[in-house]
Amino acid sequence: MSAEGATNGSAAGAAAPHVELRRVTKRYGAVTAITDLSLTVEKGSFTALLGPSGCGKSTLLRMIAGLEEITAGQCFIDNIDVTGTPPAKRRIAMVFQSYALYPHMTVRQNIAFSLSVAGQSKKVQNERALEVARILELEPYLDRRPAELSGGQRQRVAIGRALVRKPEVFLFDEPLSNLDAKLRVQMRVELAKLHAELGATMIYVTHDQTEAMTLADKIVVLDRGVISQVGSPLALYNAPLNKFVAAFIGSPGMNFLGVDITATNGRTASVILPGGRTAQIGVSAGASARSAELGVRPEHLTIVDPNDPQAAFAGKIAIIEHLGNSTILYVDTPAGQLIVEGEGDLDAKPGQAVGLRLSESHARLFGETGATL
Amino acid sequence: MLRSKRSEYFTAAVLMAPFIVIYGVLFVYPTIKMVEQSLTNAPLIGAGKWVGFDNYLRLASDRLFSVAIWNTLYFVVLSVIPSTLLALAVALGVNRLKGWLQSVVLAAFFLPYILPVSVVFRIWSWIFDKDFGVAQYLIAPLNGGHSLSIFRTIPLFMPAVAFVTVWWLLGFNVLLFIAGLRNISSEIYEAAGLDGASRLTQFRRITWPLIWPVTVLVFTIQLILQLKIFDQVYLFAQGGRVDATMVMVQYIYKQAFQMNKGGLADAAAVVLFALIVVVSVLQFQLLRARGAR
Amino acid sequence: MTASVSAADLAAQPGARRLASLRRVDLAGLVVTLATLLGAVFWAFPLYWGLVTTFKPEYEVVRPGIALWPEHFTFANYGHVLLETKIGLWYVNSLITSGAVTLIVVVMAAGAGYAISQLDFPLRRFFWWMILASFMVPIPALIVNHFILMSQFRLINTLAGVVGPQLIAPVTVIIYKQFFDSVPKDFREAAVIDGASDFQLLFRIYLPMNWGITTALAIITFIGAWNLFLWPFLAVSSEDMMNITVGITQVHDAFGVQYARDLAVAMLAALPVALVYLIFQRRVTQAIMLSAGIKG
Repeated sequence: MSAEGATNGSAAGAAAPHVELRRVTKRYGAVTAITDLSLTVEKGSFTALLGPSGCGKSTLLRMIAGLEEITAGQCFIDNIDVTGTPPAKRRIAMVFQSYALYPHMTVRQNIAFSLSVAGQSKKVQNERALEVARILELEPYLDRRPAELSGGQRQRVAIGRALVRKPEVFLFDEPLSNLDAKLRVQMRVELAKLHAELGATMIYVTHDQTEAMTLADKIVVLDRGVISQVGSPLALYNAPLNKFVAAFIGSPGMNFLGVDITATNGRTASVILPGGRTAQIGVSAGASARSAELGVRPEHLTIVDPNDPQAAFAGKIAIIEHLGNSTILYVDTPAGQLIVEGEGDLDAKPGQAVGLRLSESHARLFGETGATL
Repeated sequence: MLRSKRSEYFTAAVLMAPFIVIYGVLFVYPTIKMVEQSLTNAPLIGAGKWVGFDNYLRLASDRLFSVAIWNTLYFVVLSVIPSTLLALAVALGVNRLKGWLQSVVLAAFFLPYILPVSVVFRIWSWIFDKDFGVAQYLIAPLNGGHSLSIFRTIPLFMPAVAFVTVWWLLGFNVLLFIAGLRNISSEIYEAAGLDGASRLTQFRRITWPLIWPVTVLVFTIQLILQLKIFDQVYLFAQGGRVDATMVMVQYIYKQAFQMNKGGLADAAAVVLFALIVVVSVLQFQLLRARGAR
Repeated sequence: MTASVSAADLAAQPGARRLASLRRVDLAGLVVTLATLLGAVFWAFPLYWGLVTTFKPEYEVVRPGIALWPEHFTFANYGHVLLETKIGLWYVNSLITSGAVTLIVVVMAAGAGYAISQLDFPLRRFFWWMILASFMVPIPALIVNHFILMSQFRLINTLAGVVGPQLIAPVTVIIYKQFFDSVPKDFREAAVIDGASDFQLLFRIYLPMNWGITTALAIITFIGAWNLFLWPFLAVSSEDMMNITVGITQVHDAFGVQYARDLAVAMLAALPVALVYLIFQRRVTQAIMLSAGIKG
């Protein structure tokens, strides 16, 4: 379900989807991995497929690539039905998690492999390989073997191999998972720069919400083979449609606590918080329930004086983590242990009794099914 | 992965073709023919009449055939057991060496395996030669001062051929045992040493159980291999009483190529086939069961 | 002898018992090592003895006494063998048949191994089970029917007839299949996306990534074919067609037994495979471990 007011390309021609999956289903024997899923990717966009392992994001990518057969439904690239087309003819290129660099070939041969398979002359192969190597700063390594390269360099060779084919769509399957933390940050920036430079359509699979948030203009959140929500990073962050998305996006994660609803008036609901205080939380029209879960992000809780009458909870600080630019506090409250994010120079001590003030406008209620009320 | 079924089948056909042709013509067809012909009275070349199980009955009553079976089993016992145990001992010894010394010693044990059987035959018939062989310096004193033709002395024939065979093939087993020993982490031995275990205990309680799978493997391979023995026995028996020391494959050879009885030879071949199947299945189960204890 | 002195000194100190038992263990180990070395000498002796005999003139050979080195070192035996026997012809025959067997087996096994490993086609399972089942049938039992078959093709007493039955090599197919199976799927997918056909995959990815295996299998196949006795013995009757392993058993001198010459021709037969082993030791041992792993 493509929510989030996305156009289906029916309006302006410029917004025609570059890649479209139409009601696709994927079955492995008796197991159904993906059911009746539809998805569009705009030209030139960086779209992330985000979700925990097993949610089907890699399967979707591989169906777009042609590495997996689509049991039912269709796949379109540039408005052409490619559902039955072999991968080599789809004008796509893929960067694998393990890079899959041919160990017995040099960097140059790896990059130029697709050209050599197509029978291009050695001259053309070398020219194009050099071109790509320049863009990715791989020139000094052209005659080395993959075993002699570092992780980041191998990654760039894998990207180079994709680049040289000048594909319509770039597909990335968790390319940064094999790198250490620092290198990951570095490569993220490189990928963002690459996208900005090339302006090509990129579809990026990851389980890391930070990667998705920083790189993508559109994120598709998947939960067990079904789309949970589609939207821009900020939209997903500020307006999650269900608990799954709310919990998955953002770090440190959102706090959840059970509350009872005393009254709703179509625009706000009055809830009783654990510990006895009350709050007024905005809801959408038509929402009605007796009890719900309240979700509030750590940065929307503030440490105040324990006697502050406006405090939503009374609690005691259990653990403090000083990160320099912010402070993470774990506070025991009647609602369980809540995570609070405060200023870097916050003055607090473990064991201190505090009050927590809740920013009602930023809190959300989630019903039994998980959907936002 | 998406690909056209037709092109996949075509590629498979091209790649499998040589195998299918070779296998079909040179393996499947002769095997079927072997069984079929064992039920006829065909000569070596040419067709014969159907005789049912007549050939098998003949084998059962042919004294030479039972001698051949007996000799084969006797040979197997004489060669497989010593070569397995000795190889383990050698492997234990070689494993303690290091560097170039280990390489040289290993090569000394392994090099005979590379030699063709006829070369092995020549070397050992020279060493055991009745008149001038160097082994007579050891044999003669045991024989009342007279030199002895080992391979013409029927009771000594099989043991001698087994001895030569062990010399020839030991390296193969040693190699496998060394690989198996290397898989046992040295930390286990260090821990046992700290626990005060003597060398013998270490062998009994650690090495032997852990090397058991390799022992079974070596034993199995040698067993099946030696049931098919022909070359050495044939070569060493030349000029002597061939019938007394005959083995199964030799029997097949004699019936087919000397007595011109193709059907009978095939029947013997089928019996050998059955024997191998039965023996290998039996001993594998037995040894596996024992190992699981 | 400083050892015994320090042992006595240390005996009075704590931890001395540990040291003493360590020395005891060393002694046992020393014995084992010595036994191994002696065993190696004993094992190497027959080959050495045969070799050294070939460099002795015949009268020395039949003299009483054990001479570990020739009194008169001579190449005469080899000279005689090279000139008077058909050894040159046998070398050529062996080279041709062993080379042909190696080439055909490797090509056939790589192709079949790849197909069974990577492709999906009808009867794939059936062929695989057939290969596994074929272990049970002993090749020596098939000699009669191989002979009949080869004579039907009029290939008896020809080199092609010698080659034929040697082409059955289930172990080689199985090894290739296992190694192709172990190539990570990613490489295949990346190459497919790059547009490679199955043939390109086989020749540019799968085989190059497994060159070591091909070398090891080729060497072991070659050695096996060179050393084969039973089938070449049956398949050819004329001396001109013999391979060297069979040929040397047919050397008969007009002047009775000539030990040195018989051994010389045997040494010449063994020389090529011994050289191949000494040069490619690693590959040979690798191939043997692989094929044993299959049979186990």
